[in-house]
Amino acid sequence: MKKSMTQSQKLMTFVLSMSLYGLSTLFTELIPSFQIGIVELSVEYFIFIPLILAMLFDPLSAALGAATGELVFSEIMLGQFGGLGELEKFLTLTIGIYVAGRLVKNPKSIKSVAIASILAVIIQQSLGCIVDILKVQFAVEDFEAVAGLPESVFFTEGFACLNDILFSGILFSLLPCMYLVPKLYGKIEPLLGVAPRDENTVVGDGEKMGIKTFVLCAIAFVVAIGGEFMAENGLAIIDWEAAWAGNSTAMIVSGVIAVLVIVLAFLKIKNRKEAAM
Amino acid sequence: MHKITQTLLDKFTIDYLRNQVLKNAYGNDDTVIAGLDPRTLLCWYLFFGLIPWFLNDLIVLLGMFVFVAITTKLAKIAPLVLFLFCLGVFCQTGYLFIAALFFGGNLSTLYSLLVMTLKVSVCSLASITVFSGLNPDRLATGLLYFGCPDQLSFSISYAFRILPILMEEFQNILLSYRLRGHSPSKKTWLGKVKYFIYQIKIIILSFYPLMLNTAKRSRTTVEALELKGYRYANENKIVRKKKMASLMFKKDDLIFVLISIVWMILCVIISILF
Repeated sequence: MKKSMTQSQKLMTFVLSMSLYGLSTLFTELIPSFQIGIVELSVEYFIFIPLILAMLFDPLSAALGAATGELVFSEIMLGQFGGLGELEKFLTLTIGIYVAGRLVKNPKSIKSVAIASILAVIIQQSLGCIVDILKVQFAVEDFEAVAGLPESVFFTEGFACLNDILFSGILFSLLPCMYLVPKLYGKIEPLLGVAPRDENTVVGDGEKMGIKTFVLCAIAFVVAIGGEFMAENGLAIIDWEAAWAGNSTAMIVSGVIAVLVIVLAFLKIKNRKEAAM
Repeated sequence: MHKITQTLLDKFTIDYLRNQVLKNAYGNDDTVIAGLDPRTLLCWYLFFGLIPWFLNDLIVLLGMFVFVAITTKLAKIAPLVLFLFCLGVFCQTGYLFIAALFFGGNLSTLYSLLVMTLKVSVCSLASITVFSGLNPDRLATGLLYFGCPDQLSFSISYAFRILPILMEEFQNILLSYRLRGHSPSKKTWLGKVKYFIYQIKIIILSFYPLMLNTAKRSRTTVEALELKGYRYANENKIVRKKKMASLMFKKDDLIFVLISIVWMILCVIISILF
């Protein structure tokens, strides 16, 4: 027998994930980081909260809820909303959690929970790292020409990314998920009036929506990967066109447009989802 | 290390956090910025949040920076927010500069980084002015006007009502965990690290009961919403119109926009002259 969640149960998941993750971002925002030599031990986020919800309930609602929660609680309420800059975190977080939630077929299998939880952090952090590198490239004119800058950007960003994957990934994603998922499984579902998830549960918004969102995720991925190639090979392009100042602006414009397209796509998903509710 | 842990322990009380958040959200309704129409501010933000990324002129950027700094002052932002802003800017560019020096950078590196810092600061200060100066309910209405998904404006209003309750509940759980456990002594350096790890572990563990409680609460919320026809109201034009009724352009909006335009033109003229 196939089981799936109703629209109002999805809304419940959204609200739950939003308020819990939002609350946790308020704390992580204020916990300082420890610097041991070059290794920075910082509490990046409590990503295990939305991950657990994505594994136990509907992944898309949990992922969107978490991203919205961070936006609303820690950015808008604490008054440090970065505007368009928050987009990157919103998208990478949504993609990371959603993919992890989809990967777990049966929350009772600890192995799949562990793999998905670490994978979510890897996806989120590496996407974020690529965006960060691109940001510096667009902001600084003649990026390549500035002495020492490209190497230092690649080095600091790459290292920070690896650092976060190892530190946050293990301590704040892998271990809490492995501990809390079996503990919550079967206990939290009745509170929302949902049957516990197993192999037979239809995850995502049914077959049709599932494919659509997956394609959109893939497009966002392609844009990100395209960005990565630009980061690797694109430097040559900038060099080659350095005399032609107008073109780097054109590249920035295309970057902004690409981002806007992704946003519109995601808003569309959200609207569709709402319309379906 | 000693100082960090000390300030952490001083700052990290939930009451402090709650006060700051509430103060930031509802504490400054009487400022010039808060009196403006949210639509004006959002359009204004779109300009100041996007344009700096396309500019490389130091004088224009400096002019913009001074302007947004003034508007931030006018909006009476909570100190915690400004502190976090400075920390963020330093983390992003200061760290990069030190690394660039390590890889053989020089003064021109400093210049590029200064331009970048200005760009980042103008955008963030503009967003602080708008999103922190506005009362969240007005902000939500403004966003709704520009066609943001209704879920976002619902989330904003919901978050403001639920957050104080959630924080109190979280604090209770946290305290009960502390009562039951034995916290490590924080006399030595190692003890402080252990204490810090213990604190974070307790915070993580506290989310287990909190998840169960919040699940129950979110079910109640959604069921109450359904009873009131939330999803139907979203698509209803009359409801939408009623929500928008509070938006109104006033004389202040016009003055604010004019000052911004004149300032920008002045900056460009000065930059061309020199």
